[in-house]
Amino acid sequence: MENAEKYAKVDRDILAAMEKPGRFYLAGLAVTATLTVIGGILWAYQIRNGLGVAGYTHPVNWAIYITNFVFWVGIAHSGTLISAVLFLFRARYRTSFNRAAEAMTVFALMVAGLYPLIHLGRSWVFYYLIPYPTQRQLWVNFRSPLIWDVFAVGTYFTVSVVFFYVGMLPDFAIARRCKEGIRKKIYTVLSLGWKGTDREWRHYGMLYLFLAAFATPLVASVHSVVSWDFAMSIVPGWHTTLFAPYFVAGAIFSGTAMVITLVIPLRKAMHLHEYITDDHFESIAKILLFTSLIVSYAYIVEFGLASYGENIFEMEAFRYRALGEFRYLTWAMIFCNSLVPLTLFAKRLRRNTAYLLVVSLLVNVGMWLERFVIIVTSLAHDFDPYVWGTYRPTYVEVGISLGSFGLFFMLYLLFVKNLPVLSITEIKEHL
Amino acid sequence: MADRMVFEDRKQFLEALRRLVREGLPGERIRVITPFGVPEAEEILSRGRSNVRFFALVGAVSGTATGFAFTILTSLSWPLIVGGKPIVSIPPFIIIAFALTILFGALSTFAGFLLLSRLPSLRGIRSGEEHGNAFVILIEDGERR
Repeated sequence: MENAEKYAKVDRDILAAMEKPGRFYLAGLAVTATLTVIGGILWAYQIRNGLGVAGYTHPVNWAIYITNFVFWVGIAHSGTLISAVLFLFRARYRTSFNRAAEAMTVFALMVAGLYPLIHLGRSWVFYYLIPYPTQRQLWVNFRSPLIWDVFAVGTYFTVSVVFFYVGMLPDFAIARRCKEGIRKKIYTVLSLGWKGTDREWRHYGMLYLFLAAFATPLVASVHSVVSWDFAMSIVPGWHTTLFAPYFVAGAIFSGTAMVITLVIPLRKAMHLHEYITDDHFESIAKILLFTSLIVSYAYIVEFGLASYGENIFEMEAFRYRALGEFRYLTWAMIFCNSLVPLTLFAKRLRRNTAYLLVVSLLVNVGMWLERFVIIVTSLAHDFDPYVWGTYRPTYVEVGISLGSFGLFFMLYLLFVKNLPVLSITEIKEHL
Repeated sequence: MADRMVFEDRKQFLEALRRLVREGLPGERIRVITPFGVPEAEEILSRGRSNVRFFALVGAVSGTATGFAFTILTSLSWPLIVGGKPIVSIPPFIIIAFALTILFGALSTFAGFLLLSRLPSLRGIRSGEEHGNAFVILIEDGERR
């Protein structure tokens, strides 16, 4: 095939994903939008009636909302890993996943950002967390991990949005050329008048390299800061130096699973087999396997530290985690995160997308359970047996959680139909 | 007005570009438009490295400085001991400074890119001129750049 024809085919194939949606798509959109609305109504109900409608009781005052926060921030991480770190390592298969992964990062952070607000008793004063000058000259406490969170997650979101947008800039120019009507106008404005001159490309290359370099340390730093929300306290089960690397590995693990969960159906629905190949899935399955091994190692070290630490509170916390009231969740977590991914040592399974989808869904479940188990069991069983307690979620918490999944997938479905799902210019470059 | 050469093939385009430069046409008078970044073209035209990198440096350094200045000065303006920690607690302030280094660095790099590439370009948005997937060489008059 002539080059010009090849390039035109890439344009056509990838922009074809943005054609009129089918029935399944609209049904999916309706379901996710409904879940989002239900979540919103329940949040309004909670704001009106107070946090009492959630299942929070003493001593478990952090539960599903914080679990969801950590879960969604974690999901975001592998987006950055794929788009920034793999770019610096010049991994070719990155092109198949980067756009989808960057979109996932942005949407997951939008959802994650809601949870600290949902978790607040008085959501409307959330701005107390932001340092701003007042006539009282009172500033935030920069020694608090919760303020580090504001800075870490705020920075992460801003940089991810910039990275996402910059990556799409030349593709908007292609969409501008190929689309008609109001869409053409929107893409024209979004493309900022991009023409593809040597000056634009030269500065663009440098910009992309630097954004990747700036985003790379965020992969390690953001979830470390999130882990310090726990590790900086003295609660047994939380207070450990292991937390930062443990959380970072877990974040990449769960995010990679989410990328697989999103891209397998995307490839099938949009007929992108030519651009996202089984080889690419095999490579990303190796990342999943590798991070699973790190997470499993962290589980072992965590129990090891408790067993050999000579600290009875720590020992009790871990005995309770493995054998107490929430033991089924703990064992389900170990099954999903440590045992199931081991099967990916088999090459044939790594290349089987149906199997990979099942594994990735189980990993998502397992990683959600991991955060739940860490948060709830540690709080339920801390130092003094007199104040031990338990926790059961209410329908409000479950509904808001499902609503957040609805919101995430709704945003994702909108992304698929409105923005180029693969990086068209990068694919052409590698042709 | 500019002379225009249009190619469908990347190799032919690069050959023509090389020939033009060998014939002694100064690189400043040549502009190229490509469907994706072609590093070889930049090399042939000996454009040098993009100055976007200086924006990255200045942004990152000012982010670090802002992070430390902000945390230290606000803590000193209301010196209240919290949790037995010193008023100026450097380790936690490093986290804020680190986050702002990355934030300011990334935003300033982006701003530098827009400035140096002269985007957003109203003329580009309005003109509706498209080159599709073609590789274009434009040779401008000596007068104008």
